[in-house]
Amino acid sequence: MNVHTYEKIWLVASLFLIVGFIATVVYGAAGAGIAMVDASGGTVDSTSLSENERFGEPGVERVGDGEYEVTVVARQFMYQPDPIRVPADSRVTFYVTSADVIHGFQVVGTNVNTMVIPGQVAKITVDFDEPAEYGIICNEYCGQGHHDMEGKLVVVPEDEYGGDDA
Amino acid sequence: MATDRELKEIGHDEFDPVGTLTLITVYFLILVGMWVLTYFVEFLGNGPTVVG
Repeated sequence: MNVHTYEKIWLVASLFLIVGFIATVVYGAAGAGIAMVDASGGTVDSTSLSENERFGEPGVERVGDGEYEVTVVARQFMYQPDPIRVPADSRVTFYVTSADVIHGFQVVGTNVNTMVIPGQVAKITVDFDEPAEYGIICNEYCGQGHHDMEGKLVVVPEDEYGGDDA
Repeated sequence: MATDRELKEIGHDEFDPVGTLTLITVYFLILVGMWVLTYFVEFLGNGPTVVG
């Protein structure tokens, strides 16, 4: 088969591109440690969240050295708790579920983003290295107050963090 | 009035579309540049990120 030189160049370049795309995504997962939101959070009875062991009391809980768990209930048109306060230099696992309809949970300006589905628990772990103040918005249309649905996430300096309820 | 033109036959590898090659190279570089920008700068640089 007689393939023109330019065509050979193009074929090699296309293969390079495909391998490059796959390689960067593999690097993201294996090297940079990017994780996808999966079903590991399990399920919950969305009609009786107040009786649920975890979701009965939404809030921040320290579970280890520099490790925190944040339980968040999204409902029309707010997040509980609000604001969420966590210390810097910590690893925070969010457990998010909805009490009514499908919501979104996005920490604005970051890759921290998940759907919030009634009956499902979205479990996402995030490292917060620096103090910062983030907005949280709902990015799934959830009703007439959707545009007002927002929360706040404050990452305070470690020495200013006064505890779970501060 | 049509004039007779001299026809030149060239071989397979003598066909040399440099302009097309240049254009495709430019497209290719734009594509690679956009991929690097979206993945490494906008996505990976957009921390914090979900890690678990």
